[in-house]
Amino acid sequence: MERIVQGMGITEVLKIMRKAEGYYITNTARDMSQSDYKNRILLHTDLLAAPSREEAGYFSLEITGGASVHVDILRKQVDPFLKLELLREKMPKTMFQTLCRGINLFGYRPYPQNVIRFVVKEFAKYVDVWRVFDFLNHVPNMQAVFEEVQAAGKILEPCICFSTGPEHTNEFYVKKVREILDVTGDEILLCIKNHGGLGSPKRIGDLVDAILQKYPEMIIHYHGHNTDGNDIGRVVAAAMAGAKIVDASDHAFTGYYGPPPILSVIHTLTEYGLKAVDINEAAIMETSEVLQPERKYYEYFESQIKGFDPTVQIHKLPGGAMGSSLEQAAKGGFLDKMPEILHKELPKVQVELGNYWSVTPGSQILWTTAVSNVQGGERYGNCSGDLKNLLLGKYGPFPFYQPPDWIYEKAFGPDWKQVLAREGGMEAIEDIDLEKERKTLADKLGYAPTEQQLVTYLQHPNDAVNFFRFEEKFGKVYVLPPSILFRRGGFRLGETLAFKDHNGKEHIIELGPTQESEDGSETNVYLNIDHHQRHFVFENAVAAAGEAKAAKLSKKEIEDLAKAGDVRAPFTANVCEISVQEGQEVKAGEKLAVLEAMKMQTPVNSEVDGVVGKIVAKVGDAMQPGDELVKVTPAA
Amino acid sequence: MKKKILIANRGEIALRIIRAVQELGHIAVAIYETPDKDALHIRTADEAIWLGDGPRCDYLNIDKVIGVAKKVGADAIHPGYGFLAENPDFAKACEHNGIIFIGPPSEVIQSLGDKVTARRIMKEAGIPMVPGTENLSAGDAGLREAIDFADKYGYPVMLKATAGGGGRGIRRVENEKQMRVELPMARAEAKSAFNNDAVYLEKVVINPKHVEVQIIADKEGNTVHLGSRDCSIQRRNQKLVEIAPSLIQDKGLVDLICATAVTAAKASHYVNAGTVEFLVDRDWNFYFMEINTRVQVEHTVTEMVTGIDIVRTQIKVALGKKLSFCQEDVHIRGYAVEMRINAEDPQNNFMPEGGKTVSVYRSPGGYGVRLDGFVYQGFTIPKVYDSLLVKMTVFGFSWNETVDRLLRCLNNFVITGPKTTIPYYVNLVQDPDFKKGDFDTSFIETHSHLINYDDQVSEGNKLAHLIAEIHYKGENPYAV
Repeated sequence: MERIVQGMGITEVLKIMRKAEGYYITNTARDMSQSDYKNRILLHTDLLAAPSREEAGYFSLEITGGASVHVDILRKQVDPFLKLELLREKMPKTMFQTLCRGINLFGYRPYPQNVIRFVVKEFAKYVDVWRVFDFLNHVPNMQAVFEEVQAAGKILEPCICFSTGPEHTNEFYVKKVREILDVTGDEILLCIKNHGGLGSPKRIGDLVDAILQKYPEMIIHYHGHNTDGNDIGRVVAAAMAGAKIVDASDHAFTGYYGPPPILSVIHTLTEYGLKAVDINEAAIMETSEVLQPERKYYEYFESQIKGFDPTVQIHKLPGGAMGSSLEQAAKGGFLDKMPEILHKELPKVQVELGNYWSVTPGSQILWTTAVSNVQGGERYGNCSGDLKNLLLGKYGPFPFYQPPDWIYEKAFGPDWKQVLAREGGMEAIEDIDLEKERKTLADKLGYAPTEQQLVTYLQHPNDAVNFFRFEEKFGKVYVLPPSILFRRGGFRLGETLAFKDHNGKEHIIELGPTQESEDGSETNVYLNIDHHQRHFVFENAVAAAGEAKAAKLSKKEIEDLAKAGDVRAPFTANVCEISVQEGQEVKAGEKLAVLEAMKMQTPVNSEVDGVVGKIVAKVGDAMQPGDELVKVTPAA
Repeated sequence: MKKKILIANRGEIALRIIRAVQELGHIAVAIYETPDKDALHIRTADEAIWLGDGPRCDYLNIDKVIGVAKKVGADAIHPGYGFLAENPDFAKACEHNGIIFIGPPSEVIQSLGDKVTARRIMKEAGIPMVPGTENLSAGDAGLREAIDFADKYGYPVMLKATAGGGGRGIRRVENEKQMRVELPMARAEAKSAFNNDAVYLEKVVINPKHVEVQIIADKEGNTVHLGSRDCSIQRRNQKLVEIAPSLIQDKGLVDLICATAVTAAKASHYVNAGTVEFLVDRDWNFYFMEINTRVQVEHTVTEMVTGIDIVRTQIKVALGKKLSFCQEDVHIRGYAVEMRINAEDPQNNFMPEGGKTVSVYRSPGGYGVRLDGFVYQGFTIPKVYDSLLVKMTVFGFSWNETVDRLLRCLNNFVITGPKTTIPYYVNLVQDPDFKKGDFDTSFIETHSHLINYDDQVSEGNKLAHLIAEIHYKGENPYAV
């Protein structure tokens, strides 16, 4: 039987798979990185694993998409396209797979149609298998991506997101499959996307069976997470029921919230009489042998809480959001509140908000709402902008039922019905002028951007520009191993670091002494770079003496100040937009700024009519509750 | 007998002179202005006297310098180059106060410093000058004279106001038609500007080579030349690269220029070291330009190819010694090139980089390399003086060997902190015309691409920058 390789079209792939005796494996390295290492697994590490992963005979390697595109530029400073190019050089055969959030692409809120199509077209040059989902299972939200993937001749894998509860019946999901097929035609792979690792093996087996009963020719790809430690059970049940592709990853890096280990899946299914097609077990073992020594460098990015979490069946957080949620709890100092948030509030919020699928960006809305409900003292007392948009149906219709009226009232006040009538429903997002954006980016960079740079910019404007400038300053840092990039506590005096730059030129850097300037204002770090001495100067942080932090304001005080035109940050967040200019007239209710916390954006509106005075905060600033944002001089 | 010699200068030339003074067993006295308080010449001299806060005014203050010299009991003063070196009043003040001025007598400085006088002396001695007219006659007769002159020597010619100076009252004329327009205008302009409508013509020497001859003479009139130098590579009349000897193939011509220089020196009763400058045009005519009555910045290249220590000889001659060598003893061997490594940013119109601290200073060494500098690692370059950091003089037996060595030395020269002319020179020494020895005063202009060296920080440096930051912060701030 012929091995499925990159370049094959969907017809050929379906033909081979339907004939194949056994099942295929997708190595979900990206999902493992996102779920268990906060997406930090570096290209450097993936390149080490590339030769043996290529030999392993996977159906595909999921290596981009999800939150990784953003984290690539934001925290790993690697171009998401270059990453795919370099991996392709070492892996000419293996299909590359992505996870795309439909209308939300690789981000957290809907993009204009022309941006979606442009982004998908560019990525489709590198990505062979497109797993596409929508957190409301609202098929129209995925349609533009479907069309572009099919137009590019790539393999389309639409998802039905899976969850549990009385509404989540086989009948519902089989009907969803029909809705998808009506749009895509029959030539697809179908993914059961179990991002939380929910349900029992039996439940998953039943679902696969139900779909195959109705669509016997369907190639089903089961995707799960091992959060409760039982995903191998679900994988086995899915495969036994006829799923043709299953997800797992390299055991050297498997953790708690991501995929289960590939070898365990293979060994178990062998006992059940199912064979992994094209799989080279020795290459799988070799991959983990290569990867194993690297894992220690990623320790800092592993979960704050260790161990499987069977309570996921209650709180339903997706594996991909576990790490970041726990990190937020640890940084926010409310790790002790986790039992209350995860086991009481979150399930309650789930049900109240319509029992939709807890996956990006819907999972962030559920999580931030639950946290805010517990931390804020008043349930739904401070609805985020994204929650309001959800309630207004801007992400799509609620799949089962609308949240109760009292939540609408909390969110929009007593006139919520009028608000809903006036603003409710999805609205077409206007196309943006791509040439204008290209020009804006060119102005910011001082040179004409490439198509890929523009694509990156359109998705994450501020972060993309920061990334391009970072590269100008620090070069192509993806060449550095995690032992350097993720070093904590500094290097040893005389330590020698050797690596090749992106041109293949070898460099040797030897750490010299670190010296403070006489007045203590600067620190000089001395290095030998390729045997030439150099030093870099860093300004020491000014001691906060005499600059005592403003006393913490209560929520009431912040609200009162806002009514007087002294607008403060109401919660911990980053400023992602300043919407006004100094001297501008504003009306009460007009947007002054937008804050972002946990990827969720919330507008800060003026409480008064007046004129914008001093703008204290700027885009990118990290705000604590009570920090000054903008001053508005109220009209007399 | 031990003499006390005051060095009325700063920077690399002060150090150069101090070295010669100390080698001769004399006592070197340095002077300095406040901005030079960390300068190396103070530390190297046997004594150092603070002149004042400056900047530049105290080094130029004759009374102060003479006062200090008398106070410390200096027997002689070496003025170096720049500052008071070619000020006849200073030389005169030394003479009046019984202090030996290490340089020519004040009258010689005076007469050679005055263009008209200098030209007259040279003309009388039969030294070739750039062809020119006397003052043109008034009216149409003058125009006729002008056109005849230009027809004889060729356009372009320069119309100059006799009473003008400093670049004022000069017009370039390209053809006869233009002459008819320009001459009356030049006269009118001269009349209004200088209240004197006298004008004359001079031939324009297009893109000449700048060739100069080092001379040295003792008080008994023994005058010897130390061969030629080519200083054509200049930027707006500032020399950047100097070569000894001239690369002109015709040795007979070079010998003639050198002999002419000796004649010129003798005609002006020259004593001590000096430089006779000539222009050489494309037809290999040479013309006297001026005599510099001081030790030149580029004297090092002559020392390298002759083996004669010019500053040492200067001191000895000034103290009354006869030249210890005659013309026949002077032999030119090999080639030497001096590159002025300045704290300037060539890519920003050679803007000075004063005020910056030299964070790393690693100089080349080995065979054939000589460095005359005054900066050191940790030294902050004063903003108020010139931008010369170090002169790198490289010697080789053949021209090719010298050029190879130049590149090697430049590549081994690491100065960080201020930007320098080093990367520019790296390009320059690899230029085919430079390698062929084919250049004139238009070289920098016609080779403007040499400015396009890659000032981008190397990838290794960029990555090292991040590594340094990870080290400093204890974690990668861009990854968390």
